[in-house]
Amino acid sequence: MINFVSAVYLVLMFIALYFFFFYIILIIRNRDMLFYYPKPERNYSISVLVPAYNEESAIEKTVEHIFNSDYKNIAEVIVINDGSKDRTGEIAEKLKKKYKKLKVINKKNSGKADSLNQALKIAKGELIAITDADSFPEKESIRKLAGFFNDEKVAAVTSAVFIRNRENFLTSIQQIEYIILAWTRKLLDFIEAVYVTNGPLSIYRKSALREVRGFDTTTVTEDIDVTWNLLKHGYKTKMCLDAFVTTNAPTKFRAWWRQRERWGIGGIQAIIKYRNVFLKKGMLGFFVIPFVSLSILLSMGVFIFSLYLVLKAFISTYLTAHYSYIAETPFLRMQDINLNPTILIFFTAVLFITSFIYTRYILANLSGKRNEWHEVRNIFKRLFYLLIYLAFYPLVWFTSIYRMIKGDYRW
Amino acid sequence: MEILKSNRNVFWEALIITIFIFGIGVLIGIAVENRRGVEISELYIEAELQMLDLNIQSEIFNLKNISCGRMVRDNIKFGDRIFEEALLLKDYEDSQTLTNALEQQHRKYDLLRTLFWINSIKIKKECPGNFHTVVYIYNYRAGMNEKAKQKVFSDYLSELKNKKGDKIILIPIAGDLNLFSTQSLIEEYQISSLPVVIVDEKEKFYGIEELYKISSLTD
Repeated sequence: MINFVSAVYLVLMFIALYFFFFYIILIIRNRDMLFYYPKPERNYSISVLVPAYNEESAIEKTVEHIFNSDYKNIAEVIVINDGSKDRTGEIAEKLKKKYKKLKVINKKNSGKADSLNQALKIAKGELIAITDADSFPEKESIRKLAGFFNDEKVAAVTSAVFIRNRENFLTSIQQIEYIILAWTRKLLDFIEAVYVTNGPLSIYRKSALREVRGFDTTTVTEDIDVTWNLLKHGYKTKMCLDAFVTTNAPTKFRAWWRQRERWGIGGIQAIIKYRNVFLKKGMLGFFVIPFVSLSILLSMGVFIFSLYLVLKAFISTYLTAHYSYIAETPFLRMQDINLNPTILIFFTAVLFITSFIYTRYILANLSGKRNEWHEVRNIFKRLFYLLIYLAFYPLVWFTSIYRMIKGDYRW
Repeated sequence: MEILKSNRNVFWEALIITIFIFGIGVLIGIAVENRRGVEISELYIEAELQMLDLNIQSEIFNLKNISCGRMVRDNIKFGDRIFEEALLLKDYEDSQTLTNALEQQHRKYDLLRTLFWINSIKIKKECPGNFHTVVYIYNYRAGMNEKAKQKVFSDYLSELKNKKGDKIILIPIAGDLNLFSTQSLIEEYQISSLPVVIVDEKEKFYGIEELYKISSLTD
């Protein structure tokens, strides 16, 4: 009879293998469409909203990047100064002289979602582009995203985020993560299951946004919420892998943790809010909610399982060392090396090697496209990402849940 | 629309491929474990033959006085063989996850080792002073603490065997595999708990702190 640990291990292996093949089939089937973007059939007018809070160091560059876009019908750029305590408002006001289509809303601090809702009321464009105040869309990105709105059912399109401040190890590891996230999101696009439209650069159809009553001010990640809301209302959300935006990522571990907790809480809030459509209502109910929920549960489950194995091994080693000391026998002997691996070790090795190659393939495709080959070549960083960095995810989930239970939503 | 429809088939396609690949993996695993079982089984048949040979040899000794030296030498040689095979069996058992094909082999080996122990007792009676028997009876299904303790017992006895060579015959036997013979021996020697080491059918050692005494007893 197979024991409990082996059974759990095999189930986890099966799920991992399933998603691996799931993505591989999507890649093979859509390999010619990965970087595809449709040409806009009409010259959609676009209002670009830039919610800003204490962004004096980046706001000017962000506005400059938006106005440098090769998209010809940017109707306006609205900077929403959300009660910044620094010179953000002042800089934005000065920029109005340089850019005639720039508008500035100065308001008391009320959060990003509320800032966007206020701007949405006055926005003139048919489409609403939203970019974080520290994010720089590349010249052709808005144009590449706009074409997806040829399909009347498309309500949101998102872009691929690259990290600009790759100044330390943490940010360069996050770069690998962002690339893999973008790639995965594109693959999910092929089954119409893009479940988040990112803050650095996404474009929405204004009528759809108004239909879903804009952004929910009660959630901590308005981008996840609005995407799920649009899916719930029967709209499509898309992803363009060839539209890039650069942004700043946390450079310190503490800030990184805080950001991930916010994402984690946002994800859980969304699951709770949309639980009524679980296994109902199109891709949101049949795929997105189960997929996100399963990812969270699996991540935490794998962590608990690994912790159990590690603790068991630790206690066993301690006891053996203790008894060896009493018996005055060597603690480790050559004979202890078992050269007959179990099938589980074999499975793990195969999965790890394929994940490693798969990661290399994704980086080569995306980083390579931007001629950033150092990301691709650095084996150590890839190993660190797969073995160490990903191991922090479940811990973030645990602390996010703990903070939710405590009602602590401070950032 | 057609593209989307075919993309949505990916859920089933991935499932079919996963079941296929995973199934192949599991089948390979079962095949590897079964092959190890067959290997152990073949070794067992050979060992069983040798045991029978030794038994007949001791019967002949009773009828006709053959050399004690030869009988002792063959007995020790066989003891070393089944000890080596016990280590191999342990390695294979540690790597076993999908089947429990080796448990039956273990039981058979335990019977063989018990028989060997009885044969060794007989030989010791006929040819005294040539070797010591060190019988180690342990729990096959042990908890974490017991496992750690048994590992140290096992390590100590292996070291002792390496050090003393032909002076001792080391016989490990699992005491909890529901075999009448081992149960009888446990009762016969009034063994109160496992693991235990029985030296020359007289001295019993239950504690790790007592293990050092075995060395002087087997000089």
